[in-house]
Amino acid sequence: MSDLLDRPVSIWALRRRRLADDPAALLGLGMLVTLLALCYAAPVFEAWLDVSATETDLLSRFDPPDATHWLGRDDAGRDVFTRLLLGGQTSLSIGLLGALGASLVGTLIGAVAGYARGRTDMVLMRITDGIISLPTLPLLIILAALDLTKLGFTQDFIRSGAAGYWRIVVIVTLLGWTGVARLVRASTLALAEREFVLAARAQGASAWWILRVHILPNAISPVIVATTLAMGRVILAESALSFLGVGIQPPQTSWGSMLTNAQDLISTAPELAIYPGGLILVAVIAVNFFGDGLQAAFDPKSK
Amino acid sequence: MSALIASDGVSVRFASGGGLFRSRRFVRAVSDISLTLSAGETLALVGESGSGKTSFARALLGLAPISAGAVRYRGQDVAAMSRAARQAMRREVQVVFQDPFGSLDPRLAVSDIIAEPLRIHGIGDRASRVARIAALLDMVGLPRDAASRYPHQFSGGQRQRIAIARALAPEPRVIIADEPLSALDVSIQSQILNLFVELRERTGIALFLISHDLAAVHHLADRVAALYLGRIVELGPRDAIYERPAHPYTQALLGSAPRIGQGKRIPGQALTGEIPSPLAPPPGCHFHPRCKLASELCRVEAPRLAEVAPDHLAACHHPLRDHA
Amino acid sequence: MIRFLATRSLGALVTLLVKSFVIFALIGLMPGDPLDMLTQANPDATPEDVAKLRAIYGVDQPIGARWWTWLIQALQGDFGYSRAQHRPVLEIILPALGNTLILMGLAFVISTIIAVFLGTIAATRRGRAIDRVINLIAYTGISVPSFWLALVMIYVFAVRLGWLPAGGMPQTGEGLHGWLVRLTLPLLTLVMVEIGGLTRYARSSMLEVLGQDYIRTARAKGISTPRLLFRHALRNAMIPVATIIALGFGHLFSGALLIENIFAWRGMGRLILEAIMGNDYNLALVCLLFTTAMILVANILADLAYSWLDPRISLGGRRR
Repeated sequence: MSDLLDRPVSIWALRRRRLADDPAALLGLGMLVTLLALCYAAPVFEAWLDVSATETDLLSRFDPPDATHWLGRDDAGRDVFTRLLLGGQTSLSIGLLGALGASLVGTLIGAVAGYARGRTDMVLMRITDGIISLPTLPLLIILAALDLTKLGFTQDFIRSGAAGYWRIVVIVTLLGWTGVARLVRASTLALAEREFVLAARAQGASAWWILRVHILPNAISPVIVATTLAMGRVILAESALSFLGVGIQPPQTSWGSMLTNAQDLISTAPELAIYPGGLILVAVIAVNFFGDGLQAAFDPKSK
Repeated sequence: MSALIASDGVSVRFASGGGLFRSRRFVRAVSDISLTLSAGETLALVGESGSGKTSFARALLGLAPISAGAVRYRGQDVAAMSRAARQAMRREVQVVFQDPFGSLDPRLAVSDIIAEPLRIHGIGDRASRVARIAALLDMVGLPRDAASRYPHQFSGGQRQRIAIARALAPEPRVIIADEPLSALDVSIQSQILNLFVELRERTGIALFLISHDLAAVHHLADRVAALYLGRIVELGPRDAIYERPAHPYTQALLGSAPRIGQGKRIPGQALTGEIPSPLAPPPGCHFHPRCKLASELCRVEAPRLAEVAPDHLAACHHPLRDHA
Repeated sequence: MIRFLATRSLGALVTLLVKSFVIFALIGLMPGDPLDMLTQANPDATPEDVAKLRAIYGVDQPIGARWWTWLIQALQGDFGYSRAQHRPVLEIILPALGNTLILMGLAFVISTIIAVFLGTIAATRRGRAIDRVINLIAYTGISVPSFWLALVMIYVFAVRLGWLPAGGMPQTGEGLHGWLVRLTLPLLTLVMVEIGGLTRYARSSMLEVLGQDYIRTARAKGISTPRLLFRHALRNAMIPVATIIALGFGHLFSGALLIENIFAWRGMGRLILEAIMGNDYNLALVCLLFTTAMILVANILADLAYSWLDPRISLGGRRR
């Protein structure tokens, strides 16, 4: 059998190899990992430099950078550098969780729609299209500004930082699943006609088996790419919401919320407006580089 | 010999077109097919593409809904079976598809592909499965280390062997093979053909072979049925069909098939024209527009399958008589 | 064509109705008691008006009934009053709509032209330096937070250089010059954000078209490159781009919302935000509906453009 390759080569190994050869993708991944590491090391920096990202010191407002306050102090006397790192924790983690949540929901809905077909498919797709054609930002704003007591939550819960954080993750998921759902549905529709799926059906395999063993693993590649790229969009969405004042509320902080009163400070302390946004830009570029690299690795023809 | 699988007046239809404002039209893929397959025998279904062969195969496997008639497995109506009984049937009736590239999941290793029926039906445990996979690979002529490889590392013929191994895994009684050779290179076709012969001898399995390759059918089949536009036009033992075809269509098929190494040529009409669309089948006998023997009766009334010789049936108003 | 327009318009209306219900329900979940706020809104509110409002917003009624009452009123042209501005909602919205259309419309046209242009250049000089530069610009465009870019623009052009005002609407008497000056920064920002995604799609779509056999045939026949691009390639390459643009209206609007707010441009975006933050129900509700209607209309127009570009597509919806 001379046409057999020497080693078993799975598709994933091929992809890993392609990714490793892509400098932009590696750069993106590197930037992302570095950012994450730095941001979650905020307490370390705080302790080492003996600065605080959260304690206010009104006597030191707008202090210029010095040996321990590498980027100076903000409008409430807090250390800018570590506060940026702290905010990054929120922004990046919401980005990741939001993207994952949206992908999970989208994959489920897309797979069900694509496999079940018929009326189920039609209903689900109408809902999907309905959400897609809504203006997202206004809707996000409304959802973020909802009075949760009317839904039965207690005041204490609502005011807690966790509620604010998860609220954003939830609403981003609620509006963000549509792209992945369409992708998965398209893949599922195509895959369900393939003969290896027919073979499994002829065996009497249940729908769950077929989805789990055959369809989802084959459909997962575009989903991985979409999830990565979605992370960028979620970071941008969260920062927009926080900037407008309906996202992350003080005392929690994120890059977007650090920009809330940036407009007022633009003439007096422009750096305070530049830094957080610049970090958002860097993070999203990194995510996009990596996501595009993934796409090229999974589907080289798409370059 | 009692029938293992019997189709009893089975018809399969598709809905075509139709939306909010248009009424749906139905296309009859196959009409009123009654065939039986007994244990250990090989029945071949021949016909041109578009004759409905694949639709019928899918109906037998339960992959396409039946609009009329019934499929019986060992006497029981499949539609009326309990879930457990149907699962048991599925284990015993396996399939090999035409496209060796599409019938294997590219993401699964060969061992997983072959083991899938075992897993779905809950046969054996891990260790016994590994042993069984090795045995199956031997049976189909593949090296044992093929188990850890992936489909894309194999050629078409090898993949078809994998598909056959998968079909044999749960020790079925019947294999339905839908054009198993058509997608393969000519030189490989004979290898796979011989594999089928060998496996049949070893396992005594019943084979339902769908093919338009008359030479292959001659090699494998015990009985042959000819299908035209969804209707059986002739059914009988292999030799009877090949040497004394009773239906003009069968005769034309045989006449137009390339004969290598077989001296006898059956005189008669060559096949002209194209198979009509199943959306608009000709009235009466479907074949009449292409048939030189067509009469007024043929245009009006569809002929029924009738015996023209013992065990040999044909649906024709003017069946061909014996000629030497 | 007429039939197509009729069916699509009908579909759009139905969608709009459904969405009005959803938005109505959502707004009902917003903080505050709608009833008191609304009775305060209208200075001339009579007891009958109060009863009418109670019928719409009375929380003792099921939401379906409330929505229905609102709908009946709306269809008669009565969209209610803005609680914050004490004026009928329609009076507030229409000028804002105009302002937004100016901003979005110009941004749409300019960004599409630039994106197609850049995408084509990048595609025809694939792999070369200019391609990489354009790619980088595009990347930045899709990655940058639009509100931050706006702040940067304000800082550079208004604070440091002082060339342009930091925002606001043109005052009466400033004439066309006033409009141009005030429009420049927001328009520029919006365009910079939008061209990112569009350029990438235009580039990849043009690449695909340029790789086709008929283009190679044309080249072999000796057709010059500009002519080649214009007559043969551009039209086909723009088809997928048209789809993307159509899907991107919502995105364009979201971008406009942020930009309007930062530059104090009195358009729908700013209005919506003010309404939501100020618990001004009626205003928010009607604003959102108008926005949704705008997007739906834009989608229909996009489909028309789509079929004009690609003669294979019949408006009956059958695609090859």
